Amino acid sequence: MHRHNVLPLSTALLVAANLLIPVAIILFAIGFFPYKPFLPGLAEYKSFEYGPPPQAPFDRLIFMVIDALRSDFVFTNNSGFQFTQGLISDGVAIPFTAHATSPTITMPRIKAITTGSTPSFLDAILSFDEADTSSTLAVQDTWLAQMKAKKEGKLVMYGDDTWLKLFPGIFDRADGTSSFFVSDFTEVDNNVTRHIPDELRNDDWNTMVLHYLGLDHIGHKTGPRGPNMIPKQHEMDGIVRMIYEAMQTQPHLQSTLLVFCGDHGMNDAGNHGASSPGETSAALVFVSPKLKSISKPVKVPAEFVEDFQLYNVVEQSDLAPTLAALLGFPVPKNSLGSFILEFLPFWSERHDKRQILLRNARQILDIVAATYISSSPTGGQYNLDCARPGSVGEELICEWQNISISVDKTPVGDMDDGWITDASKWLYKAQALMSSVASNYDMSMLACGGVTTALASTLAMYVLSTSTSTTALSLAPFVLITVLYGVMMFASSYVEEEQHFWYWATSAWLLYLTIRSNLRMPRKSLAMGLIALGSMRLVRGWNQTGQKFAGEPDVVTSFVAANPPLLWCLVTATYALVTFELFNGLGDIPAVVSGSVASGLATSAISFKLAFTNEDAPELVVGLARTLVDIFDGPSLVNRARAVFLGLGLTSIYPLYSLLLSENKSSKEKAMRTLHHLYTLFALTQSRVTNIPLFLLFQAIYLCLSGLRLDVTEITTSSLLLQFSSFFAMGGSNAISGVDLSSAYNGVSGFNIIAVGILTFVSNWAAPVWWTSALNLLLIQKRQPAEYGSHSVYRQHTAILTVFVTVTLGFVMMACTALRTHLFIWTVFSPKYLYSMAWTLGQHMVINVAFGGLLYWLGRT
Amino acid sequence: MALLDPVTMPSPIGKARTSEVSKSKDAETPTQAVRTIASPLAQVVRHVYPVLLLSLFLLRFDALVADPVAAMSSSLPVVVAMQVVYVVTCLPPAGSQTTKPARKLRPGEKKKPGSESIGPNIAVTTLVALILSSIATLPLYGIIILFGAPFLTHVPQTFLCSTHMAVLGLFPLFYTRGVSSKDWLEVLSAQAPFDEAFGGLTGACLGAWLGAVPIPLDWDREWQKWPVTILCGVYSGYLAGKILGGTLAFGKRF
Repeated sequence: MHRHNVLPLSTALLVAANLLIPVAIILFAIGFFPYKPFLPGLAEYKSFEYGPPPQAPFDRLIFMVIDALRSDFVFTNNSGFQFTQGLISDGVAIPFTAHATSPTITMPRIKAITTGSTPSFLDAILSFDEADTSSTLAVQDTWLAQMKAKKEGKLVMYGDDTWLKLFPGIFDRADGTSSFFVSDFTEVDNNVTRHIPDELRNDDWNTMVLHYLGLDHIGHKTGPRGPNMIPKQHEMDGIVRMIYEAMQTQPHLQSTLLVFCGDHGMNDAGNHGASSPGETSAALVFVSPKLKSISKPVKVPAEFVEDFQLYNVVEQSDLAPTLAALLGFPVPKNSLGSFILEFLPFWSERHDKRQILLRNARQILDIVAATYISSSPTGGQYNLDCARPGSVGEELICEWQNISISVDKTPVGDMDDGWITDASKWLYKAQALMSSVASNYDMSMLACGGVTTALASTLAMYVLSTSTSTTALSLAPFVLITVLYGVMMFASSYVEEEQHFWYWATSAWLLYLTIRSNLRMPRKSLAMGLIALGSMRLVRGWNQTGQKFAGEPDVVTSFVAANPPLLWCLVTATYALVTFELFNGLGDIPAVVSGSVASGLATSAISFKLAFTNEDAPELVVGLARTLVDIFDGPSLVNRARAVFLGLGLTSIYPLYSLLLSENKSSKEKAMRTLHHLYTLFALTQSRVTNIPLFLLFQAIYLCLSGLRLDVTEITTSSLLLQFSSFFAMGGSNAISGVDLSSAYNGVSGFNIIAVGILTFVSNWAAPVWWTSALNLLLIQKRQPAEYGSHSVYRQHTAILTVFVTVTLGFVMMACTALRTHLFIWTVFSPKYLYSMAWTLGQHMVINVAFGGLLYWLGRT
Repeated sequence: MALLDPVTMPSPIGKARTSEVSKSKDAETPTQAVRTIASPLAQVVRHVYPVLLLSLFLLRFDALVADPVAAMSSSLPVVVAMQVVYVVTCLPPAGSQTTKPARKLRPGEKKKPGSESIGPNIAVTTLVALILSSIATLPLYGIIILFGAPFLTHVPQTFLCSTHMAVLGLFPLFYTRGVSSKDWLEVLSAQAPFDEAFGGLTGACLGAWLGAVPIPLDWDREWQKWPVTILCGVYSGYLAGKILGGTLAFGKRF
């Protein structure tokens, strides 16, 4: 870039616009994702005017999480939980549907269950960043910490190691399992179950946490109606039976409460993360022989309902105050849960009942006050003008003061059940209010971010408008795409279904390119157009993504995965094509060397892919592929991946060498192509095996585009459309759960945040990066030999992309600001903002501007 | 695109037309926009027809939402009949315009009903145009699939949708342009001048494309189902394109 001493003004402005982007993103993010203030320290029983806390009916807790246990898996007719259903009809188990708030992924759910609070959205992001310790709950008040503070026994934990990361050092005995390969249905659960019989005989613990992952894995793999689902439910039911029978026979387990629940549910595709009814409706069952005295008869099995709201619906956060009362410890400080009233009959004394609700209400009142009121209370009362409350929070406090005054006036003996209803209504109201105002936006930061983005986009637009080689007409499609995309950001369904926009626009664009060149070369352009549109049709049907049609059949599920030999043929064809191109690209060195290099690379890449697929999706490895896996058996996955990366790195020396030293134009173009094919091999390594054939289709579209003689603006527009289309075609989405982490650890043995970050980005953005690299080959050909300023093609290309990025980022920010009180702000718009960050910082700045610029510079002649 | 097929088919009308074109005009002279017939009857039909078509569509809309296949197939004969009446009354058949291009444009008093013995046979032209339109339904179906229509399911829905598109968008073009490869190359390259027929085709195609927009919305309405919105787009786009092509945009090119 800096070959000239004086940068042209437009280049300087473009650089400035790009430098403003990260500033804008950070400013906006600071205002949009504030850390939620929480009350520090462990709650203690406050001295209370109504006497000491009531006696707890239980002293031991077995808390069993079955990942993704949707309510209907336990309660309906078509369930494997027969024993549990028997317990429910006997009245020794009380069933609920526990509502999980979004994001419905494990870590924030565990936080909600243990602290009783609604985790801030940041937790969802931090849950991917496993090295970060700021999201641990070691310093927060949870029922685990309370059980430990009782000092009546040890804490043991078996299952998902998320618990160990969240609560470092709190468990006395633990064995963590990780859910790295979701194809593991059995081992991951057997590693939990094998500890249970011994622990049931032990009497030195007071809390046992179990977390089973198998059912979630089955869901991800085969959906909620997969063939392994019912057997797995039988297995889980058997564990409930084992524990229940021990509770009946072992004397030390007589006052033990078994709670088993799902941390979230799943949708019809078996995925979770968003807020559809299936994902948010988890089962929750309390089991103990003692419950017989208080349970009410319910219908077993329950009637299936569309929204999965079976039996009484409670919030997951309600677990914290309920467990607190049942096991006798103070409610965790940050809990927004309200005591589940079904358990109130445990205490026959009205006095005790009143205490439980009052303590629960006082504790929430503290949070309301901390959020809304700056002054501290005087004598237990807040000095508020209750005739004209200044905020909803003050209104809530005033309402509570009225309720508690009426309690004070009424002697315990005369207290009626109406008061209980009032109190619990108030608790629900406070819970709803406090969960929804979980975030206080910093409006000035939001505005700063927005203004910076506007400035960046103005600069970029100015650069584009001064560009001599573009006309308003040639930019019209691009402008239309940008404006439509921006407007779309305000509609939650279009954000969820963004892929349709890109497919819709790309198909029309390809048809436009065909029609445009039809007059010049009728037959050729017709053929090209048909091939490109046909490939695009396959590409868009390849992976079903988005929310509305999630789980519906796509090319992968109906043809490719259902027919592994076809898959492996396509995969082999893709690798063969790349190998052949590499062999050609290395043609200047003796054929023996280039042939062995190309085939060696291909062999190591394929052997890695086979071994990886054998772990990730063993059902695809059949027949010849199975034989090959057995033959190649030996080195570990990490070493295989390293071999591939090392081979790619070493091979790229040759084209880089010829690029830097040769002045010959054709050999430079060849070297650029070789680099592109080396990247393709890297992208194949980082892509799921079922996505590999997509690169064949991309190649077909690329060849058609190169035959249609595009000008620079058209190349840029194509690049934009195909980058986005291909991202969604590979299964990408705007949902947090859409992030594919399976290839993030290729060749990495420990946790290296930089390596894992890069690998995660490349495995999710493999196709968009591929398009940057591929269309750069076309861009280089557009370079004028005696071009003044030498960078005008690249500058124009970058200017257009920068305009798109800044304008759409501005729209996303506006949407997030305008809709900050929208119901879907945390489920749709915030994830979209995170994805915009990744697209802008990763795909635009690092890939399109930096990597693309590097490639363009390397290809200079 | 695959619509080019008819070009290669030998047809007396097309042959006559192309030879005349090459004789009478320069190779670089582009094709002319087709004017509607100037007779009062034709003008009345031309202006009433969109209203009738629109009312038919609105009248059948509930039935379309309830059962797209039944509604589309039962209304197809009506739409074909209406199109035939409109096209025969208002548009000159292929070959009639180019025979005396200079004279036709000028005199307003010179009424020129299509049944004149010098011009091509209207019945034959209509029939051929209908047959060609029905053949073109298949390539059109292919294009709709390429644009993302369901491939393995909803076959009758998509097929009927493309039939309606062909009857609306292609039939008038086949009627007025015949199978001249030059004309069709221009049409398929979007270079043809706007008139009622080409405007209608452009509008129908754009409308079909825009019709896909409401489908992903999470409104859970019955009318979001395939291909109701597409058909809405086709009809409204066709009417808009036809009216614009016949008036404001007449003779203009992209």
